[in-house]
Amino acid sequence: MISTDPWVWLSALLTLAIFSMLLGDNKFFRWAEATYTATVIGHSVVTGLLTLKDRFYPLYTGQKPILIIPLILGITSLFVVWRRYAWVSTVAMALMIGVGTGISIRTLMATDVVGNVRAVISETAKVLEGSPATRLGYFIRIVFTICALLYFLFILVPKEGPGGKFFNYIATIGKYALIVYMGIAIGNTIQQFVGTATVAIDRLISTWLGLS
Amino acid sequence: MRLPELKSEYIWAVMMIFFLIPAIHPIGLPFPMDPVTYEVYNIIESLPEGSIVVMGGGGVFAFDLESSAGMIAMIKQMARKGLRLVTCPVWTEAPQFHKYVIDAARVDKDKYGGPWEYGVDYVLLPYMPGGDMVVFDSFLKDVHATVSVDLAGTPIDELPLMQDLHDYHDIALWICPHWGFVSVIRIVAAQYGITCISPAQSTAYAFFSPFMEAYPGKVYMLNGYVGGAQYEALVGIKGLGHKVMDSYAFASTLIVLFIVLGNITMLSRMGGEEE
Repeated sequence: MISTDPWVWLSALLTLAIFSMLLGDNKFFRWAEATYTATVIGHSVVTGLLTLKDRFYPLYTGQKPILIIPLILGITSLFVVWRRYAWVSTVAMALMIGVGTGISIRTLMATDVVGNVRAVISETAKVLEGSPATRLGYFIRIVFTICALLYFLFILVPKEGPGGKFFNYIATIGKYALIVYMGIAIGNTIQQFVGTATVAIDRLISTWLGLS
Repeated sequence: MRLPELKSEYIWAVMMIFFLIPAIHPIGLPFPMDPVTYEVYNIIESLPEGSIVVMGGGGVFAFDLESSAGMIAMIKQMARKGLRLVTCPVWTEAPQFHKYVIDAARVDKDKYGGPWEYGVDYVLLPYMPGGDMVVFDSFLKDVHATVSVDLAGTPIDELPLMQDLHDYHDIALWICPHWGFVSVIRIVAAQYGITCISPAQSTAYAFFSPFMEAYPGKVYMLNGYVGGAQYEALVGIKGLGHKVMDSYAFASTLIVLFIVLGNITMLSRMGGEEE
């Protein structure tokens, strides 16, 4: 049965207006696009204001007077939009970037660099075990990883002579590996959009029209 | 023979019809199971009753919807197993997403007659600003110092579940149904050694799946709606994942058809030009 909820109707109209883009740019699409953008920004602003209340609850109740420091730093950070007094925000900004970078750099080295090197070593060992298809899969991954890494080291390798020719071949394989990676990434993104579109259509059919 | 020009509007119209068919009449096409999905299912299944699981991270709601297929199935499994859930949102849209997936799983006692009671079995925490990795680090060191109230503004000290959650020692598992899984890996898995699972979006899966090799036994990922559908099958429900699998099959067939048509058109024109 067709929905009688006005919010479901609004949602359905906005969805149809967004889908109307498939027939070309039009007023309905622009209305839905502007409504969506405004809603997201509005939601973020409201969440931000509510967060102030949540985060500083122990300050209001007197449980943690020390929270006055982040409150002051938070207020000073707003001065960044005022060119004449932007310098007021520097302490807050420096602290925020410093703490963020300090925490991330340590873990980033451990996970993204050491962790991934460990992953490649572990995959290399797996080339010798499992079914032939699994072995081939790991072999391709290892070759592609090494070649793609060498592609970015083109400055350090000789470009002339027999060595240069050899590295050129490796760099070419690396280039193809990167193209394959980008293809897979784009394919996955399209898959994601197909899924999102399906969810939107499903909502129209089941929630709005009550057909399934 | 010259093939007629195919306008993009016609292609979209045909595509829309192919989307509508499985939406109205789900076909239930078969899909292969991934061993990782079994592993994830068994990890949750093996947790002792009363264990605390955190659902945390951040991302855009529209894209996180892809993760919802697997996440809803996981919540149903957790509720059935008597596990407890606390959220840790680090993006402004994440609290709404967390609320949505718990609602969609229909596990709340008051609303749906389910096994979970708010405050006792699950708690929704508000958005925590400050940057994801900084917040995760602080949350795992001292939950009560990081957040004081829940999403509704109730002090967390008044909630029974939060009496048992103080720091990372109390967390059995971390689930991240968001794009930002890599931050979870960096802090939660790598630094605190907590097992992390992500019912990931397919794009995120392509980027972050190598971390499963880097942290074996600590990091697990399900691949988008496919992974969601696999998990639904294990839990015994037919949700969003199953619906999308049908659409994937239809859309993929159509895309292949259009590629073939496009190539035939190109070849026929090349032949025409040569003549």
